[in-house]
Amino acid sequence: MGTLDYVWLGVQAVFQGPEAFSVLGLGISITLVMILSGFLLGIAVGATPGLAGPIAMAIALPILISTFGYTPDALLPVMGFLIGVMKGATVGGAVPAILFNTPGTPDAFMTTLDGYPMTKKGQAKKALRVAHFSSVSGDTFSDIVLFVCAPFLALLVESYLDLPEKTALLILSLSFIAAVIGGSPAKGLISVGLGLLAVFIGTGEDFYPRLSMGTPQLSQGFPIATAILGILIVSAVFKELEDLWVEKRRSGKIELTSQSGDQRLHMADIRRLFPYIARSSVIGTAIGALPGIGSTLAATLGYTIGRGRYEKRKGADDPDFGEGAPEGVASTEAANSSVSGANLIPVLSLGIPGNAAAVFLILAAESIGGFNPGPSVFRFTADTVNPELVVAFGLFTSMFIANVLNWTIGGVFMRSMGVMVRVPKQFLLPIVLLLTLTAVYVQEARMAAIWFTLGFGVLGYFMRSVGISPLPFVIAFILGGKLEESARQAFSATGGDPFFLFNNPIALAFMLLSVGVIVVTARNARKAE
Amino acid sequence: MGASRSNLILGLLIVAFSLLLLFVWVPLDTETGLIEKVRRQVTIGDALAPTVAGLFLLIGGTILVLFERKAPQQPTVGLSSLGFIGAVALVLIVSLFAMRYAGPALVAIANLASDTPQEYRLLRDAIPWKYTGYFLGGSAMLVGLISLVEGRIRAVTVAVAIAAVVVLIILYDLPFDDLLLPPNGDV
Repeated sequence: MGTLDYVWLGVQAVFQGPEAFSVLGLGISITLVMILSGFLLGIAVGATPGLAGPIAMAIALPILISTFGYTPDALLPVMGFLIGVMKGATVGGAVPAILFNTPGTPDAFMTTLDGYPMTKKGQAKKALRVAHFSSVSGDTFSDIVLFVCAPFLALLVESYLDLPEKTALLILSLSFIAAVIGGSPAKGLISVGLGLLAVFIGTGEDFYPRLSMGTPQLSQGFPIATAILGILIVSAVFKELEDLWVEKRRSGKIELTSQSGDQRLHMADIRRLFPYIARSSVIGTAIGALPGIGSTLAATLGYTIGRGRYEKRKGADDPDFGEGAPEGVASTEAANSSVSGANLIPVLSLGIPGNAAAVFLILAAESIGGFNPGPSVFRFTADTVNPELVVAFGLFTSMFIANVLNWTIGGVFMRSMGVMVRVPKQFLLPIVLLLTLTAVYVQEARMAAIWFTLGFGVLGYFMRSVGISPLPFVIAFILGGKLEESARQAFSATGGDPFFLFNNPIALAFMLLSVGVIVVTARNARKAE
Repeated sequence: MGASRSNLILGLLIVAFSLLLLFVWVPLDTETGLIEKVRRQVTIGDALAPTVAGLFLLIGGTILVLFERKAPQQPTVGLSSLGFIGAVALVLIVSLFAMRYAGPALVAIANLASDTPQEYRLLRDAIPWKYTGYFLGGSAMLVGLISLVEGRIRAVTVAVAIAAVVVLIILYDLPFDDLLLPPNGDV
């Protein structure tokens, strides 16, 4: 089995999987249908203020798993759907930002800066076209980098990193995530510590489930869905409800501006926007490849660098950045959209999730089984077929198909989603909460799971209230088990050497880096005071 | 104006919690220590991983106290937030209890009027019994939360809540035989 054989098997797995229906005798596979539905749902969800991709993924996952079951055949349809949601939500987020000055997703905030002024000048459709074009370009670029880099990086990791180094790498990624998410290394470390503590309760190798205080409720540990959905989704619902409660109808009505002039995107426009899109795509991809650095930073950087270039070159009549420059929309959208593909590089090559969407892909893989994101996926076996590698190339194919959908029908569908902004949040958020709790219950079938989820929701609410980002918690919760397992293996493999993390150069370098990244960011935080 | 002290307070609380975790909870509530010797082989015990978690908390709390004490723009949890989350918790607790016990309660009431007493446990796969708890509890949760945010109860709220719960039942229960709506996995 050569590399090309594997690529071909992956493509076939997507196109020739179980058939959903046939058109003119041509079978349409269920995976294709799922990618399309996920994509359309993602655009709608992204376009709805208060909702975001992860919420749709959280709610859809138990339904998908019940539909497709726990067999390896379920992997591509389910993960294809999630990938569709991820990509759809990325472009959908720009719609309310441009039309109504309310970003649908946090990443789309920078899009409001030039998108909304364009709408006020009567160029809403053009702004949406610029956003769509830039977003899809950035996304496609990022995916290409993913396809090339992930297998390569994974092979590198497999051949150079042994158990102690892998343990040290997990520690490094946790401390890196703690340092970079949320702008406060101290609060990031606290978030990681709480996540690790939560995953270690009730688990372990002894007969007595540790830290369970002798209670049967804690002795099984917290199901992964309760922690992730509670901390990420339920806490966000609580926080948004509070904001609504505080503002209680303070905002005015939506003003309608009549749209006029040339709304099309011409070749000349594209040529003018291209340098901005290209720069932002590279920035977004580079940032996305590091676990934990979100698209918000990518958008900010892309916008800032785009502004620097624009100020030197703009004509006298052109609007400034912030006053409705299409280049501003392009710089932002290309940067935040190119994060999502690259974000899967650490997931697929190391098994380390870097953002919320990646967390749900890992959750899906863990629930279904038969696919463990990490370096072992990319073992190119010559004599036997490595089914995980086929799935990996199937995922790449799914991303490529989602991009094709995005280039073809994405723009039209996106421009029709302006109505979603009128869905009242105070109705939507409680319904999302009930949906999430129902989703948890149908997976776990016990009321205790609902209480756990709400408990994590309240914890996440307080964490958000004091400025502790919940994402490091979730990533630590996912990596905690893996960290303990690899440490146990490394410890016994080195014959009980207590300094196994410091005895070989690579592991030592990782450990020094983990300390260094915390020290440097803590000092920067202090300087900023 | 003096800087906010919320980082200082939070840091001290986290340090205290981590010390409690490291020196009381972990040693008392795990079976094996940091490192164990089993049949002359040294292995990692169950206490090590939670200890690492505690160290993350301790370091984070310490940095917060020593270096980020005076950070600008420290968010605080005000009394109004506590009031809000308390009200939300109340709505959720009441509606989840309704969800859990409405079905069995309805069966008990029906039993008063019937000669052949029935058990909810045996009816949990029968319409309408199996939807009773979810329908009442779910609607109560939606009406409660929406009205809390809006500051008033409207007829349209009740209608939307009922419609949403019906849609959720259609979404999760009708197509799947193997999925159980709350609370039918517990009773």
